[in-house]
Amino acid sequence: MESYPRWKYLLVLFVLISATIYALPNFYKSYPGIEILINDSKNIENFKQDYSKYLTNDNNKIIEQDNKLIYTYNSIDAQLDAYNNLSVIDSYFDYTLVTYTDIPAWLAKIGASPMFLGLDLKGGVHFLLQVDESNIKKNLLREFESDIKKELIENKIRYKSFERSKDQLRIIFKDSETLDSAKTLLESNTRDFIIMPDSNSNLNILISDEALSRDLKSSIAKNLTILRSRVDELGVSQPIVQKQGKDRIIVQLPGLQDSTRAKNILGSTATLEFRLTKGTPEDWLQSLNQNIPSINSSKLYKQRDGSPVLLSRKIIVGGADIKNANSGFDSTTNSPAVFVTLSDYGADQMLKTTQKNIGKRMAVVFVEKNKEEVINIAVIREAFSKSFQITGLNREEAQNLSILLRSGALSAPMEIVEERTVGPSLGEENILAGKNSMYFGMLLVVLFMFFYYRIFGFIANIALFANLIIIIAILSVFQATLTLSGIAGIVLTVGMAVDANVLIFERIREEILNGNSPNSSIYAGYKKAFSTISDANITTLIAAISLLTIGTGVVKGFAVTLVIGILSSMFTSIIGTRAIVSIIYENKKQTGLSI
Amino acid sequence: MIKIFKNVVDYNFIQKRFFALILSGILIVLSLGSFLYQGINWGIDFSSGYIVQLKFQDNVEIDNLSQKLSKSNLAKPVLQYYGSKNEVIVKFQENSFVNEKNINEFLLQNLEDQSYKLMKLEFVGSQIGSELRDKGEWAMLVALLSILVYIGFRFEFLYGIGAIFALIHDVIITVGIFSLIQLEFDLSVLSAILAVIGYSLNDTIVVFDRIRENTRTIRESSFMKILNISINQTLNRTVVTSLTTLFVLVSLLLLGGIAVTNFAIAMIVGVLIGTYSSIFVAGSSLIYLGVQVQSEDQK
Repeated sequence: MESYPRWKYLLVLFVLISATIYALPNFYKSYPGIEILINDSKNIENFKQDYSKYLTNDNNKIIEQDNKLIYTYNSIDAQLDAYNNLSVIDSYFDYTLVTYTDIPAWLAKIGASPMFLGLDLKGGVHFLLQVDESNIKKNLLREFESDIKKELIENKIRYKSFERSKDQLRIIFKDSETLDSAKTLLESNTRDFIIMPDSNSNLNILISDEALSRDLKSSIAKNLTILRSRVDELGVSQPIVQKQGKDRIIVQLPGLQDSTRAKNILGSTATLEFRLTKGTPEDWLQSLNQNIPSINSSKLYKQRDGSPVLLSRKIIVGGADIKNANSGFDSTTNSPAVFVTLSDYGADQMLKTTQKNIGKRMAVVFVEKNKEEVINIAVIREAFSKSFQITGLNREEAQNLSILLRSGALSAPMEIVEERTVGPSLGEENILAGKNSMYFGMLLVVLFMFFYYRIFGFIANIALFANLIIIIAILSVFQATLTLSGIAGIVLTVGMAVDANVLIFERIREEILNGNSPNSSIYAGYKKAFSTISDANITTLIAAISLLTIGTGVVKGFAVTLVIGILSSMFTSIIGTRAIVSIIYENKKQTGLSI
Repeated sequence: MIKIFKNVVDYNFIQKRFFALILSGILIVLSLGSFLYQGINWGIDFSSGYIVQLKFQDNVEIDNLSQKLSKSNLAKPVLQYYGSKNEVIVKFQENSFVNEKNINEFLLQNLEDQSYKLMKLEFVGSQIGSELRDKGEWAMLVALLSILVYIGFRFEFLYGIGAIFALIHDVIITVGIFSLIQLEFDLSVLSAILAVIGYSLNDTIVVFDRIRENTRTIRESSFMKILNISINQTLNRTVVTSLTTLFVLVSLLLLGGIAVTNFAIAMIVGVLIGTYSSIFVAGSSLIYLGVQVQSEDQK
């Protein structure tokens, strides 16, 4: 039997040691925790004194790191209780839900960290939001309409009428000559729309694909930024906000258990408008009864209690002019309030209007999708400009609105097309079930291999454990997301990983039965089985990689662990077991093999 | 030495290929018939709607809950126990009413007198559902084609066709069994089917590899005999690997929780069918395809 090359021993040793080190963090206990960022390290003691009573509810540990405080808990329920307490006392500090793992400093230093658990294992919320394409089309067509009208008028081309439908404009002309001249004029100008004349002196204007995809792209880019800043306000650690495809955004919020608030904030287009009121309460009632505004250039609105009000059609200041917003409480009445800071332009507008209208009333309108609601009407007692406060909302609404105003309005409305929420306790159950099934399955395989192949089976079992450690290490190093389906993938790999060894061992047995010496049987067994093993594994690998092309959560998690498992099992079961076999049997006179 | 089969086994699988043909034929006809008449019970991933898993403090009555959640303007939700009497799965169809109201608030309002925990909530819009179905079919096709190319390159084109034939056989029967007993077909089952493709192929390749080797080393002019010898030689391995894989799958089925039940069932069925097909179907398909022993001067 040829001597097994020394570099292969070293390779096996090296892989095993580094895999063990990087897999290690997964075996330390981790706790649910809340991390609080305190900018000034001197204030840490103050914070502890003031707020620890809200944050401690079982015998938890408090860890200080630089300018961070981490409170750890023994259960997720305790953590979430504390988290809720924290959101009730108001937030002058940043806090996030975290998972704290008690790993030694030297491991952290070399970048070793535990596996990144998916939402189904740790609990959390996943959303897929899609830009409303019809809205983008509508806005584009509106733009076209006003541009084209302007241009036709400037060039003295008369049209009979304009029609706007879901995805096109139609200009109706008196005769075909005017149509032709309009066509030449418009064609010379732009590539944003496509012009299609039809038989009856009509001109159809369609949006070009280029213009649509350009608008879509910029809307997605803007929305991505806005969603990121909104997500940051929700206080979860390692949130994911990512573009998917051409018109979708994925948002993942680990650790969050209630999706209601996230839903209200993420997809919301809510904003504020400030308008002057028109007329008297009598006029308002009259307008309601007749169902038309009784005063010129005014519009009928509803207040929160359902009563009518007439407001000026002119907006003093809109959401776009709000620079900053915070929620808190009115100092005199103690009712929830939003503190608003306007941009310079907005402040200027506000000052001019309030100066001229002292004694009159101003309304604050809450605008969300197709709903407009007057939340507050107040008499202007003195001129004001940049900063002021708004009341009339409940606490939660005030909090949400201030987040929305701070992040700015979505540049195109988005709709939730997929949602997956997993409660944290289900996550814990999933982890436990995954672990148990893995241990039990492995136990069965290990026992079987040992009874069936004796010493060789024992060697294959060592390779199996090594394989598991390597998979865990690779998942940890690349921080690939481990999901429940990922665990299923690992369990499956455990079952299939011994296959390579089974192939080799069966070959060795055949060689022995053919009357070959033990050493040459080993040599021939490994050699002959190799091509079979690689063919079989490469084809499985192809199937696993095509799984990756589907790319969606469940499937991807499974495919990733399967691919890693196949590769590492080939390494451990061919190179790894061979090294052990060589140590035991090489250069010794064998009379028989324990196989 | 413990062996499942005696040292020198010589089962005449090829001679029995007509029985296999009949068995496979029946299974495939049953499967296709079930697709046509019952269709597949698509899970939420591939259709659309809401699934909510609620855990109550005490045991609950399904009828009672169902009444509370049924609103006149809402398609009747489907409720079922999940594992125990205090855990319930509720399925709503996609509906603008629930969309606007926000499902969490809807539940909160209608179940206010009960104390429950939301364990899981899944919503898939209709567009996503059909997209996923397309992607799934696409992935399956890509997998089959790339495998055909690889085997065609490593072996011979006809072997590739034979392997694909065995694969399609396995996939049709596995999916067919899901359709027959109307088990829910979700994304995890799709992953299982694709894994079965990988697994069953693995088995087939091992047999084909042996056939290729034997056509070179054994002086034997009858392809059928070579086929039979090869299947017998790999029989121990085929069964041992299936056993170890089944060990872990059964433990996944028993201990892995309801979330992976369908995955485990699909895999177990797939592995059993895959094992059967690599012994009885893959090899004999080569005969029907007309593969023969190459004579010396052709080599």
